[in-house]
Amino acid sequence: MATVIDAHEVSKIYNPETIPVYAVNNVHLHIEEGEFTALVGPSGSGKTTLLNMIGGLDYPNKGDVIIGGVDITKLSENKLIDFRLRNIGFVFQAFNLIPVLTARENVEFVMLLQKTSKTAREKRALELLTEVGLADRLDSRPSELSGGQQQRVAVARALASKPRFILADEPTANLDSKSAENLLEIMAKLNKEENMTFLFSTHDQRVIDKARRVVTLVDGKVVSDVKQ
Amino acid sequence: MLFKIAWRNIWRNKLRSIVIMSSVAIGLLAGLFIISFSWGMNKENVHNVIQTQLAHIQIHNPSFQADKMVEYTIENGNDMVAKLTSDARVKAVAGRNIVQGMIASATSASGVNINGIKPDEEKRVSTISTSVIAGSYFAGDKKNEIMIGEKLATELGAKLKSKLVLTFQSKDGNITSGSFRVTAIYRTKNSAFDETNVYVKFDDIAALLSTGNELHEIAVLLKNDDDLEPVATDIRKMDLKTEVQTWKQLSPELQLIVDSFYQYMYIFMAIILMGLMFGIINTMLMAVLERQREVGMLMAIGMSKPRVFGMIVLETIFLTCIGIPLGMLLTYLTVEYFNKTGIDVSAFSKGMAMYGYPTVIHPELESYYYLPVSLMTAGAALLSGIYPAIKALQLKPAVSIRKI
Repeated sequence: MATVIDAHEVSKIYNPETIPVYAVNNVHLHIEEGEFTALVGPSGSGKTTLLNMIGGLDYPNKGDVIIGGVDITKLSENKLIDFRLRNIGFVFQAFNLIPVLTARENVEFVMLLQKTSKTAREKRALELLTEVGLADRLDSRPSELSGGQQQRVAVARALASKPRFILADEPTANLDSKSAENLLEIMAKLNKEENMTFLFSTHDQRVIDKARRVVTLVDGKVVSDVKQ
Repeated sequence: MLFKIAWRNIWRNKLRSIVIMSSVAIGLLAGLFIISFSWGMNKENVHNVIQTQLAHIQIHNPSFQADKMVEYTIENGNDMVAKLTSDARVKAVAGRNIVQGMIASATSASGVNINGIKPDEEKRVSTISTSVIAGSYFAGDKKNEIMIGEKLATELGAKLKSKLVLTFQSKDGNITSGSFRVTAIYRTKNSAFDETNVYVKFDDIAALLSTGNELHEIAVLLKNDDDLEPVATDIRKMDLKTEVQTWKQLSPELQLIVDSFYQYMYIFMAIILMGLMFGIINTMLMAVLERQREVGMLMAIGMSKPRVFGMIVLETIFLTCIGIPLGMLLTYLTVEYFNKTGIDVSAFSKGMAMYGYPTVIHPELESYYYLPVSLMTAGAALLSGIYPAIKALQLKPAVSIRKI
């Protein structure tokens, strides 16, 4: 299987010149295509920081993050934006949809940034929203959707750009149990049927139970890496 | 879709957007209305001066304006009047005798310009005949009638039928006096003019001056202001022994006011727009800071910096693009309304009247002023959008996404 993410000796240090605080300390993480991996650990263990660096939202102080053969720590801010657009799908804890756009427009938006044609955009947005069970809410704005529905739109949006993998930062944290269950099923299905690679940080035991690999971080260090 | 997002974003906080649009509209209205007010005031002042004092063009003996000596009359002045009367561009022509002298009542005396006029000709060239507030304008054949300004009448303690003595130097150099009876008191919009100008009949003064039919001044009133320079040039070509001056040359201070109007207009608008810019910057900055998480998310999912920048600037442009036409419409309606009704500033205009400014102002704004002012406003809005947009670009997605 092809390597999707290769984080090598990655460290994120705050206040490196005064009182250094290691948010992520010398982490090595290797993710293969099609994995469904949960990054777990207590609050402040560095899960989100590590995800940010893998997602190209932040630069590590040390180490490399190689995605599809490209060391993204060497890319400029502008190149990183373009790299994220073409390679990484994001699902955020607080949904983070564009509030003024409908569900369909939110999904289309990423494809628009990729300069996909209008017809192709519309077709794929419809397919993806149908896949996440929102075919009947295409023209609803985020404020008209429940938390679970918004997060499903976020998943559809993350898939829209045909990324190499999807990073999800505590995707079920703001959802009720039924919505969380539903979302997990969708993610698991996408992983299984489309071989989409997922890496998500979570506290949620239901998510951890669904994951096929669980990486545990404590104080910025990987303390266990278990396949289940 | 960027347009769609920017457009919808401005309606997320309707009240704030309406406030900023109103600021743009009211800012424009205030600026343009003050400009239209000033322009209306200047234009009326110019017309007043043309119609009561100067006419469009004046012709003199080349030496007359410097010394105002009685002997400096216009050669073949009456022929010139006849020629000019037949010019299709000319509305009316009047020949005048002008002499400086003293006017005295039983109690007081004052220095004045004595205007010897031909009542019928003068009636067509200037509005002095319609400025009479007491008595009547040179009707009949009575000799030695005089028309004086209201302010001068007060100074001299003169009333209708009062006798006043004019003293001046005649053409042969002798000091001559004539007794005149007040038959009319006039009031123009320029009290300084009223205080220093008296009118007598041409024949009466010519007899005392010993100038016969000779003229000191020919006043030419045109049908169209735009013909000013062409007609002046044509008159200069007619006779090189005269000095032909337009009202702009006769009253350079008035011309300066008119010319500097454009500069004032732009300076004034620039000041208003600066105030407006700070308002827009403040609003847009708030809008950006409130949406840090959203902007961070947009950059996280791959929206490039130029696009984020464009989105913020577009929002500013949309806000302004609604405000500008609204401001223009309000300005147009306000200016048109007050142009018809006029604004009575008599309560504040005693000082202004002294300098010939009217007491009722009719604001006026030529249509071609609207475009540069709109462009200035749009430019200002564009500039105002830049700082908030730059601030948006400085956001770090990893940090912004977690902002509440």
